[in-house]
Amino acid sequence: MARLTLEGLSFTYPDAKAPALCDVDLQIEGGEFLTLMGATGSGKSTLLRLLKPELRQNGTLSGRVLLDGKDIGGLTARESASAVGFVAQNPEEQIVTDKVWHELAFTLESLGARRELIARRIAEIAAFFDIEPWLDRETATLSGGQKQLLNLAAVMTADPEVLILDEPTAQLDPIAASRFIDTLHRLNRETGLTVIISEHRAEELIPISDRLLILEEGRLAFCDTPKKAASALKDTAYLRFLTASARIFAGTDGAGEAPLSVREGQAYVNGLTVKEIQTAEKTAEQKASALSLKNVYFRYERRGADVLSDLDLEVKEGEIFALLGRNGAGKSTMAAVAAGLRRAYSGSVRVFSKRLKDYTNGSLYQGVLSLLPQDTENVFLRETVREELCGCEKAEERLPFDFKPLYDRHPFDLSGGERQLAALCKALSTNPRLLILDEPSKGLDGNMKALLCGVLKGLKREGVTILMISHDVEFAALCADRCALFSQGRIAAADETETFLFENRFYTTAASRITRQKTRGGYTVERAVKLLGGAGC
Amino acid sequence: MRRFEDMNPLCAAFYYLCVLGLTMFGMNPLTLSLSLLSSILSAVLFGAVKGRGHAFSLILFLIAALINPLIVHNGMTVLFYFNDNPITLEAVLYGLTAAGMITASLYWLRCLSKVMTSDKVLYIFGRFSPKLALLLSMSLRFIELLRVRWRKIQDTQKALGLYRDGNLIDALRGRARVLSVLIGWTLENGIVTAESMEGRGYGSGRRTSYSAYRMHLSDWLFLPVCAGLTAVAVVGQVRSTVVFYPDMQMELWNLWGILGAAAFAVLGTLPLIINAKEALRWRGLLSKV
Repeated sequence: MARLTLEGLSFTYPDAKAPALCDVDLQIEGGEFLTLMGATGSGKSTLLRLLKPELRQNGTLSGRVLLDGKDIGGLTARESASAVGFVAQNPEEQIVTDKVWHELAFTLESLGARRELIARRIAEIAAFFDIEPWLDRETATLSGGQKQLLNLAAVMTADPEVLILDEPTAQLDPIAASRFIDTLHRLNRETGLTVIISEHRAEELIPISDRLLILEEGRLAFCDTPKKAASALKDTAYLRFLTASARIFAGTDGAGEAPLSVREGQAYVNGLTVKEIQTAEKTAEQKASALSLKNVYFRYERRGADVLSDLDLEVKEGEIFALLGRNGAGKSTMAAVAAGLRRAYSGSVRVFSKRLKDYTNGSLYQGVLSLLPQDTENVFLRETVREELCGCEKAEERLPFDFKPLYDRHPFDLSGGERQLAALCKALSTNPRLLILDEPSKGLDGNMKALLCGVLKGLKREGVTILMISHDVEFAALCADRCALFSQGRIAAADETETFLFENRFYTTAASRITRQKTRGGYTVERAVKLLGGAGC
Repeated sequence: MRRFEDMNPLCAAFYYLCVLGLTMFGMNPLTLSLSLLSSILSAVLFGAVKGRGHAFSLILFLIAALINPLIVHNGMTVLFYFNDNPITLEAVLYGLTAAGMITASLYWLRCLSKVMTSDKVLYIFGRFSPKLALLLSMSLRFIELLRVRWRKIQDTQKALGLYRDGNLIDALRGRARVLSVLIGWTLENGIVTAESMEGRGYGSGRRTSYSAYRMHLSDWLFLPVCAGLTAVAVVGQVRSTVVFYPDMQMELWNLWGILGAAAFAVLGTLPLIINAKEALRWRGLLSKV
């Protein structure tokens, strides 16, 4: 008998014309690892939430969800809380208490467990997830990756049979994300836990998944093993959900079994011949500097450590510059220093060759510089998008996106991508010549990323200089002119995107890792396919 | 190693209740000077008060001691006249005693807040009401969260050009907007927290309250010792006579008075005795490692 059975599951939100989920039938065996993919709004969250009775939202539901043959709606509150574990996207908001140990105890406390059991379970879980060293710390002091790991650990204390995760690594940097996914894989492999995860990170997830599900407008568009996906989805739009290896394989009309991981991809690519394509000669022009930081030192507290130390950075006018690096390395701090929100205790910061302090009375933020932070929630001050974008009409015209249908919505009700664009629109309303973006691609799906990339390139053509701070190498590969790696409070290396991604072994895109032994410029899947003689994809 | 700080929070709570009670409700110069001495010693050894804190306490002590003789002119022994007002010996001594009481209480309270970390407070509340303990824990987390968020929103809005005019009204209007975003954002995110709680079984029945603290034998011994010493000190205070006005009548050195003072001296230094004993024991154990 299957562990989870979905029978004709349909769901319609109140006031919605079309159902969010339409007639989904699915059987999930115990111990299976399922990856759920699909564009934003395809019904992934709706489906996952239906599997956890406490999180079901208002709406019309038909069909049934059976857990070990019993209807999941008929479970008592305690049974259902412990049988199905749920981890959501935002690491911060899922944490309830102030101390790490208390967070781990919370689930079992709620279920009324004995003291001895709680003590034992905390010890066990802390050892498995390797969180013993920070058991006594305050939850507010943890990094995003640690917080999400804690959320997972806290859910696991109840010993669930099925674990459901809704884009758990969307807010994490790549290193924290792969650590999180490794932990999931270990849980699945070593304890036989059934895992259902919705996520965009194909590279890490697809090679370890038993089955891949793709949702399109509330319907199951694909449901089979990842190996079969590459050939089955070859000429469809769903191909973008697969790994770089599989996409290069499909793009170059590969035959036989599709490669999934980077290693398999390399083996496949080594059998292909590289086409010579003429690249336009780059003209080295001397451009004026838009932002320059020289020997900048910064720390938050007198007795604290330097967050920025001896930092040098030069962003030229009219370029898109990507600053990469792990979370917590000090990239956002650098942005705050560059934007004059924090003062460096030593060194000089110049914006368009003018010192920061020469911009008096907030004139820096009127037509010169705009900084868009990571958390776009705090950009919005009003009740509706209409009021929010009032006075931004010019900026709206510059973006290839129609905000009109969203005018009556509350800014918090927008999807991640829509919110990012609306925030960008606000940032452009002061008509800045230098735009600093902090993690613009965070939590966006592939479509939105491509759209945002187009927007940024369009702004560049209009002469706006863009400094982008990101941990998303794939996104930087799509749109940046130059890239730099941030480490130990300074810039470790800045170079042209192509050189940067070719020379890096770890901090580079999957496509570059697959093709680097054969060719230099294949740092995105599209380029790799072109270079390796595909018809284009 | 179980230092005083590592003992069961109930012990620490009971201990500070006793010393604070004895300090605050008795105007006995003998016990108060003992209390002041031992509280300063405690505070220094626990690292609860550092350089500037001591200076602050000294200033507070002087002010408190000076105010009484300046406004109270009771007492038989006139020392001198200040602005035609008599300054009496009794009022000066009363002022000194009261200042000692206030300063000692503050030192004890600082020790208390140093020793009673949030975990311990939570443990004590959790024993009576698991719900109250959870509420407290969530509030503690929220304070930090709101502080961080306020800063974030403030920075964002500044960089997006919210403050245009640079005058006071503009600044106030901006702050009001920031506050409204803070509240909106917090409520919005509160939904996620609520879902996380419900998904993890909150409200599914009776809660238990977990804590890593246990009652050891030494904790069980500590409580009656503490209570006994307090009782002797109370009797000592009751049996001694302390009258300031109109002329001083002090009877501190009778049998009970001396016993009470001795008991208070032991009580006041009890944490230090425990820690010294543990440190000695640790030396002995270290030689076996």
